[in-house]
Amino acid sequence: MHKTTEVVPLRVAADRLGALRFRLALLMIVSYLAMMSFLIYSARHTPLTSAVASNLSSAMVALAICMAFSVILTGLFVLVRNRD
Amino acid sequence: MRVPRNRVLLLLATVSIFGAGGAAYSAQSDSQIRQADFSTIVFFVVFAVLTLLISFWAGRRATSSSEYLTAGSSISAGQNGLAIAGDYMSAGAFLGLSGAIYASGLDGMFLAASYLASWPIVLFLVAEPLRRLGKYSFADVLTHKLRERPIRILAGASTIVIVSFYLVAQMVGAGELISLLFGIGYGPAVIMVGLLMIVFSTLGGMRAATWVQIIKAILMICGSAMIATLALTRFGFSLSDLLKTAAANHPNGNSIMEIRGFSLDAIATLSLGVGILFGTSGLPHILMRFFTVSDERAARISVFYATCLIALFFTMLFFIGYGSIAILRGDATYASASGALFGGNNLAPIHLASAVGGSVLAGFISAVAFATILAVVSGLIIAGASSAANDLVVGLSGRHLDERTRLRISRISALALGVLGIVFGLACEGQNVAYLLALATAIAASANFPLLLLAIYWDGLTTRGAVVGGTFGLVSSVVLTTMGPTIWSKVLGLGPAILPYDSPALFTVPLTLLVCWLVSIAKAEPEKDWRLAQPSVAQYAE
Repeated sequence: MHKTTEVVPLRVAADRLGALRFRLALLMIVSYLAMMSFLIYSARHTPLTSAVASNLSSAMVALAICMAFSVILTGLFVLVRNRD
Repeated sequence: MRVPRNRVLLLLATVSIFGAGGAAYSAQSDSQIRQADFSTIVFFVVFAVLTLLISFWAGRRATSSSEYLTAGSSISAGQNGLAIAGDYMSAGAFLGLSGAIYASGLDGMFLAASYLASWPIVLFLVAEPLRRLGKYSFADVLTHKLRERPIRILAGASTIVIVSFYLVAQMVGAGELISLLFGIGYGPAVIMVGLLMIVFSTLGGMRAATWVQIIKAILMICGSAMIATLALTRFGFSLSDLLKTAAANHPNGNSIMEIRGFSLDAIATLSLGVGILFGTSGLPHILMRFFTVSDERAARISVFYATCLIALFFTMLFFIGYGSIAILRGDATYASASGALFGGNNLAPIHLASAVGGSVLAGFISAVAFATILAVVSGLIIAGASSAANDLVVGLSGRHLDERTRLRISRISALALGVLGIVFGLACEGQNVAYLLALATAIAASANFPLLLLAIYWDGLTTRGAVVGGTFGLVSSVVLTTMGPTIWSKVLGLGPAILPYDSPALFTVPLTLLVCWLVSIAKAEPEKDWRLAQPSVAQYAE
C-alpha cells in the first residue's frame, strides 16, 4: 500500500516531463521542416539576376535562424531540467 | 618468449608514423599535387606521437571492458561535450562540408544546419534514458523490456553496418588528406591511416579516444577560427565583399546564395533532411558517448555544450567555404581551369589555409584534420567493437561473457572493423564525404532510432515487433541506399540508379515505426516477455 502512494506523484511528474520532451521535439521538427520548405521555395522562386549579390540572402538568414533555434531550444531544455 | 601486446602495437605505430614521414619527405620532389613542406611533416609527426602517447597512457588503464569501452563512466560533462563536438567536427564535416560549399554554395550549409538540428532531438528524446538504462550500447535500453537474445543480435548487426558506412566516409577523407599531405597515392594513404587507427583504437580504448577528441576539438576550433579570420582579413573584414567575390568567381554566380542543388528535387531533399534529423539519435558512436558520463544531468549538459560548439564550428565553416570560393577559384596554384581543386574539392580548407596562412598554417590544419580522423575513427571502431562483444557475440552464443573474454573480443572486433574500413575506403575514392556521412545517418535513422523511440516511450512494443521492424528498417535502408545514385552509379558503376533518391529515410523511418507497431499489436506477447525488470523509462522522474 505504501508503494501505491508513491507512484502517483511519480506518474504526474513523468507525464509533465514526457509532454515537455515531445512538445520541444515537435517544435524542433516543425521549425526544421519550415526552414527546409522556405529554402526550397526561395530557391525556386528567386529570379536569377546577372547583378552580383553582396549581402546575406534570405536563404542564409533562414539557415542561421534554424541553427540559432537549435541552440536556444537545447539550452532551454537543460535550464528547465536542471531546475527540476 | 612472450612479447607484450602493447609493445608490439607501439612499435607498429612508430614504424607507421616515421615510415610515412620518411616516405613523404622522399616523395617531395616527384609529387604533382604536393602542397605541404617540412613543417607539415613535423606537425603530423608531433600530433601522431602525441596521440600515440595518450593511447599508451590510456591503454595501461584499460584492463576491464568497462574502462576500455566507456572510460569507466568517469568523463565529466564538459569533457564529454567537447568530445561529442569533436566527434561531429570530423574529417567528414570539416573537409566534406567545406568542399560541398566550395562546389555548390549554400547546399553545404543546408547539410550543416540539418546536422545541428538533430542535436535537440537527441537531447529531448534519447540522451537521458540512455544514460539511465544503458551500460555499453543502446541495446541495453531495449533489453530492459524485450527479450535479450534476438534484440542483441539485431542491435549488433545494425551497429556494425552503420559503423562500416560511417567509417567509409572518414576513410575517404583520410585518404585524400594524407595523399595531399605526403604526396603519396590514395591507396597507400588509406592503408597507412587504417593501420594507425587500428593501433590507436586497439591500444587506448574510449579514454584515449575521448582525450584525443578533446584536444583535437580545441585545436580544430582554434584552427578554423584562424582560417576564417585570415580569409576575412583579405576582404577588410567585409562579409559583403567576400560574398560578392565568391559569387563573381563561381560559375553558378548568385545561385551559390541559395540551395540550388537540393531545391531541384524536394522529395530527395526532404528525405536527406529526415535522415540527418533523426539519424544522429541512432548513431552508435554518438549514443555511446552518453555511457562515459556519470549520470543523466551530465549527459544533458554535455549535449548543450556540444550543440554550442558545433554551431560555432559550422558558422566558421560558412566563412571557410565561401572564402574558398572567393580566394581559391581562379588561382592556378590550387585549382584547375574548371575550378576543381587539386587533390579533390574536399581539400578546400587545407588549400585555403595554405593561401591565407602559408605552409605553416596548412601543415597545422592538416595535422589537426589527421588527428580528427584518427579520433573519430577510433570512436567508431570502439562503438562497433563494443556492440560486437556485448551484443552480437552475447546474442549468438546465448550467454554472458566474462570481463577478460569481452575485452579480447572487443579488441579483435576493432581489428576486423579497421580492415573493413580500409577495404571500403579504397572502393569509395573520390566521393563527397559529407554526402557519405548523410547516407550513414539515414541508415541509423531507419534501423536504430525507431526502436529506441518506441522502446523508451511505448510500453506496447513487443520483442517480435522490435525484431521484425528493426530488421525491416536495417535491410530496407541499406538496400534502398545501395540502389540510389551515389552507391549504384558512382561507387559500383552499374549504370543508371534504380531509385532516384540517395537517402531513403523519408520512407523507411515511418515504415519501420509502422511495422514495429503493427507486429506488436497483432500479437501480444506473454507478460513475462515485456514486463520491466526495472522502472519504465517513460515513468521516471528525478
